[in-house]
Amino acid sequence: MIKGVGGQGLYIDLTSQSIKKKPLDEQVVRKYLLGAGFLSRTLFDMIPDGTDPLGQENVLGFATGLLTGSMFPQSSRHVIAALSPLTGIWGESHAAGFWGPELKLAGYDSIIFTGAARKPVYLRIQDSTVELLDASSVWGHDVFETDTILKAKHGRNCRVLSIGQAGENLVRFAAVMNDRDRASARSGIGAVMGSKNLKAICVRGTGKLEVAEPRTYLKEMDELHRRMLANPFTPGRAEFGTTSLIELMQHIGRLPTYNMRQGVFDGYDKIGGHAINQGHLIKPRADWSCLQRCGRFTCVSEGPYAYTGGSPEFESQAALGSRCGNANLESVLYSHHLANQYGMDTISLGGTISWAMEAWEEGLLTEDDTGGIDLGWGNHESIVKLTKMIAFREGFGDLLAEGSARAAEKIGRGSERLVMAVKKQEIAGQEPRAQKSMGLAAVTAARGADHLYGFPVLDEVGFDDEIRKRFGEQYLPQMADRLDPTYKGIMVKECEDFMVVVESVGLCKYGTQIPPEFYYADIALGLKIHNGLDISVQQLKTIGERIVNLNRLFNARFGITRKDDALPDRLTKEKAPVGPSKGQVVELDRMLDEYYSSRGWNLKTGLPLKSTLKKLAL
Amino acid sequence: MSALKFVFGSPTVCTGCMICANACSMFYFKVISPTRARVRVMRFEDGLDFPLFCRNCEDAPCKEACPEGAISRTSKGVLTVNNTRCNGCGSCVKACPYDAISVNPDSGKAIKCIQCGECVKRCPVEAIWITTQKELADKDKNGRLPPLYDKHKAELYSRGEFL
Repeated sequence: MIKGVGGQGLYIDLTSQSIKKKPLDEQVVRKYLLGAGFLSRTLFDMIPDGTDPLGQENVLGFATGLLTGSMFPQSSRHVIAALSPLTGIWGESHAAGFWGPELKLAGYDSIIFTGAARKPVYLRIQDSTVELLDASSVWGHDVFETDTILKAKHGRNCRVLSIGQAGENLVRFAAVMNDRDRASARSGIGAVMGSKNLKAICVRGTGKLEVAEPRTYLKEMDELHRRMLANPFTPGRAEFGTTSLIELMQHIGRLPTYNMRQGVFDGYDKIGGHAINQGHLIKPRADWSCLQRCGRFTCVSEGPYAYTGGSPEFESQAALGSRCGNANLESVLYSHHLANQYGMDTISLGGTISWAMEAWEEGLLTEDDTGGIDLGWGNHESIVKLTKMIAFREGFGDLLAEGSARAAEKIGRGSERLVMAVKKQEIAGQEPRAQKSMGLAAVTAARGADHLYGFPVLDEVGFDDEIRKRFGEQYLPQMADRLDPTYKGIMVKECEDFMVVVESVGLCKYGTQIPPEFYYADIALGLKIHNGLDISVQQLKTIGERIVNLNRLFNARFGITRKDDALPDRLTKEKAPVGPSKGQVVELDRMLDEYYSSRGWNLKTGLPLKSTLKKLAL
Repeated sequence: MSALKFVFGSPTVCTGCMICANACSMFYFKVISPTRARVRVMRFEDGLDFPLFCRNCEDAPCKEACPEGAISRTSKGVLTVNNTRCNGCGSCVKACPYDAISVNPDSGKAIKCIQCGECVKRCPVEAIWITTQKELADKDKNGRLPPLYDKHKAELYSRGEFL
């Protein structure tokens, strides 16, 4: 029996309102772990070919990782997956917080929803009690109000996960929020919840996690805690969270600016970590078992942009700041806060608005399209206004709620070439001409443009020792050089395999990938002392590879091949105009060849070879 | 001012990570379970996170309330529960003004913080410490901490409602 888990999965059909409990299948865990791997397998089998992402037949899955709720550093995370309404392919999103651990303490590792409710409902879990309740008291309410209302009703100690108005209104990049300000933002997973008339999942778990090796548990975890705190990155993480990545990315020319036209922004210091700490940081906050505390609690104390609340992260600052040419920090913070309140992905939000701003500059969009809204670069009043209009699909916001790729298809006029997306999902805050591995990772990620699926940060700021340890001396110095495409295919492949394992055990990418403190052997130790699972490092690597291949097979069913693994021409053909990466383009084809080769995928189709699938027992 | 010791924490330093609670339930009961810990952590929407412990009151309402005489002071002045005598009736839980004692659902015995220091040494931000009323007043010279606790006292100390 696997220890340290809830032990049961919930299978809920919203159409018939039936709720079933099934024990966790150890055979599935040994092949796919839990979390992302479990959902990859389960949803591959359950989602039919040709499914409409916003239709009844889509399947929406929630899962904790094997170590979620443990004392392993940063073990708070859960995963949500479905067919994505933004990309039409594999959709997956993750968040930290306390909701995942609470679900486990209630006795459940996963929840799979099929069908759709006729009227809005929410799921309430209180240990063994699981019930679908009428959501009319919370439907139409934002994320914060929903949290407050459900806690008033079911107890202050509940943990609430919900969608806001953006999810209800089927915004294609709507997020699922938990613990008020934690976001499973990407892939438009919030719109899937909305399409199923599922408003929230309110959980209270008063149970316990029995671990496999209780006698040595604290001693082993103490050592992992000591290592995390001793890591040279930890003090900076505590001081700035990810907010000061603005300054670092400016330094290496990787800060997306003016819709990714360039990688440097004149006003960077006005929206950076130091500026936030000077006037807006209340305190660092942490999620379950987190020692790095990169979470921020911030405010704008007065004026039109006043708020108090959780975060921001670097991604939001870049998306709503430099990407839109916006150096007004208070508006960046406030539009980010609104995105949390209405439940939206800030990356796609900023990516879509910045697309519109460039189209406006080129005269492809006019006041006739926008209903009189000025879309000049850095017009912060318009950014804030559009944030709300998108969530409610009002006026011009209705078009932008479709995301930049669909909006451009609709408008035409040549605006398609200004879309900075892969597979219809907006590229995150890494201008890839300044870091080639990020360009490759954006096209190979299973959920469309994404920096986190592979999160290849080992070439970002000189992790030469880690590259030596993980890959070998023979790959240096090229692999560590962010402007050199050499060996990036090998690096991205390895990083993806590792990251999907991390997502399947419920850990954070901070602490495993950046800083690269914990690696396979540490995860294997965690699985042994927490879960009682004896899984070797080699087996874990194979599991990671298996999950990535399974995600690729899922996408192949929805038509994805090598032709879709493409970046916008701007990034592969136009040289970076200014900054430290001036003159660079992304040498994508060369890196893709190396990537497919190291994956054992066909170079022409980009799909797994039969021999690869056989090797992985798929 | 009482020289009795107790564990106390700063809600502006605490990050709410739950490591204290999990270390506590693991140390004493070999499980991870905040409801089985001798410390509670409560998060508020104004950014405060409270780690909450037994205040080791001089008048000790829990001790007075116990019909079995199961609660007594050690030679160091720490209020402890005698498991042989405790029958889990919950009178102490109702009597405690700080919601700092509860009944472990597995053992049926009352549990409370006994100042062992296992959580204090593991707090990654040094938000909690063992102190006395006098030491606390010296440390918090500007009197910053008591108003923060006062502000949220209705939820922090609900006579069991939010346990």
